[in-house]
Amino acid sequence: MKPIITALKLCKKYGKFKAVDRISFEILEGECFGFLGPNGAGKTSTVRMIHCVSPLTSGTLTVQGMDANIDNRAIKQNTGVIPQEITLDNDLTVRENLQVFAHFFDIPKAEAKKRIAELLKFVELEKKRDSKIDQLSTGMKRRLLIARALLNQPKIIIADEPTTGLDPQARHLIWQRLRQLKSQGVTLILTSQYMEEAQQLCDRIVIMHQGRILKAGVPARLIEEEIGREVTEIRVAADQDDRLLAVLGPLACGHERVGDTLYFYCRDGRALMKKVLELDLPDTVHRPASLEDVFLKLTGRSLIE
Amino acid sequence: MNFSYRIAYVFWRNLVSYKRFVLTTFLASLIQPLFYLITFGIGMGAYIGHFGGKPYLYFLVPGVLITSVMMTASFECMYGTFVKMVHEKLYDSLIATPVSAEDAVAGDIAWGAFRGLVSGSLMMIVAIFMGILPVSLVSVLLLVLLMIFVGILFSSLAMIVTAFAPNFDFFNYYSELVITPMLFFSGVFFPLDKFPAWMKTLSLFLPLTHAVAISRAIFNGTYTRGLIFNFLVIFVLEVIAFFIGVRLMKKRLIK
Repeated sequence: MKPIITALKLCKKYGKFKAVDRISFEILEGECFGFLGPNGAGKTSTVRMIHCVSPLTSGTLTVQGMDANIDNRAIKQNTGVIPQEITLDNDLTVRENLQVFAHFFDIPKAEAKKRIAELLKFVELEKKRDSKIDQLSTGMKRRLLIARALLNQPKIIIADEPTTGLDPQARHLIWQRLRQLKSQGVTLILTSQYMEEAQQLCDRIVIMHQGRILKAGVPARLIEEEIGREVTEIRVAADQDDRLLAVLGPLACGHERVGDTLYFYCRDGRALMKKVLELDLPDTVHRPASLEDVFLKLTGRSLIE
Repeated sequence: MNFSYRIAYVFWRNLVSYKRFVLTTFLASLIQPLFYLITFGIGMGAYIGHFGGKPYLYFLVPGVLITSVMMTASFECMYGTFVKMVHEKLYDSLIATPVSAEDAVAGDIAWGAFRGLVSGSLMMIVAIFMGILPVSLVSVLLLVLLMIFVGILFSSLAMIVTAFAPNFDFFNYYSELVITPMLFFSGVFFPLDKFPAWMKTLSLFLPLTHAVAISRAIFNGTYTRGLIFNFLVIFVLEVIAFFIGVRLMKKRLIK
């Protein structure tokens, strides 16, 4: 696969604040690439530069062989954006929302009509086509945003936290649809703070923090490298640490004390669990390691505001 | 500046949404000017009698007509644009398509001018029903062009205000400190020649003065050479305001 987006020492400043700080990355054609990070990590600033609504402060950014800049209509013509905020046109009906957008992309009327019918079916909103936006649930609005992002049959789709605030049903439906798009060869760029979402969808991710990329790679491999395979959480008072570490420490490849919990990271947790049972520690959870562990390890566990 | 034919698409978007508000906006844009016509025109007109050989209403109607263009265009590009930009984030989704920020703002300025034209035309129709007619059909046509021309000016000026507005309250400064004084010092209700010299000078700096002068001349078919000056003032101001308005809005939209 060849790169469809290349960023080199990309920088974005708002006044003195560095939102994106000299990051470099490559997104390959047809993959799902995730930008993960806590609030304010620079994810949205980065994707906004990719879809040409925010000028670069410095560095280079190439999208489909073209320089990304705010006046590049050709890049915008080939990109679909599912925004973080619901930016639907409240004065219009579901169908009118799509019609107006089809216009913005110069899609001929007959073709637009056909695509709108298909897309409403794709996001399961056919019955709502004449509803006003305020009659839709949040999940429906998000689905309509997806339909809107697909009108121009984009080669690149940017989904900026597409499932924030959704119930599990709606979230899974959106994941389904995004995977479906990927299988059709679309390059998908996702930003998210939900690690499960990234694990579900992304081929490769970068973890961002304070405008920089901390780690990049394939989710499963990152977990393996950073954490191991399994995590044991023991909720126990801190004064027990020395005693427990002496027994359990050698059986794990790493440990961490956070608040009321002692974490052990293992490649193979069986020996450790056996010991835990012997010690009769009731408040214990043993589970597979996840991207969330990697994320918290890299970006820290304190609140980021 | 990156303009394209997509300005028309932005205008069209507004038109599609307008069909749901059209009746309420008719009412809103008619009521205030209608009060001016009734109170000043009929009430005071009875005392004032004739102005240059014609009833007072012939003096008043062209002024009120252009005032209603000013009001509607200004308010559309303040409140209307602000809602679309800040509350509904519509501009954000517009500029993610091949529509540029310049297209979006210019489309809204054109839209403000159109809304002004609708208000002004409604006033003209009311006046016609009251028996106050422009001198000829050509006058009607010229008035339509003038309303569009003046609408673009006030839409652009309002855009400059909107580019700075942190909230709705901010618009009060503009409407109370600029729009309202303009209404009283631009010769809408009385001829300016009885005002003291300083006030006459002041009025020359108010764009509405020039718009009213042209409107009145067209309405009554009394063209003078001074109108060229009035026209030029509006034209120059309009071009400047348009580009500044677009530029400032772009600065606000693109970060």
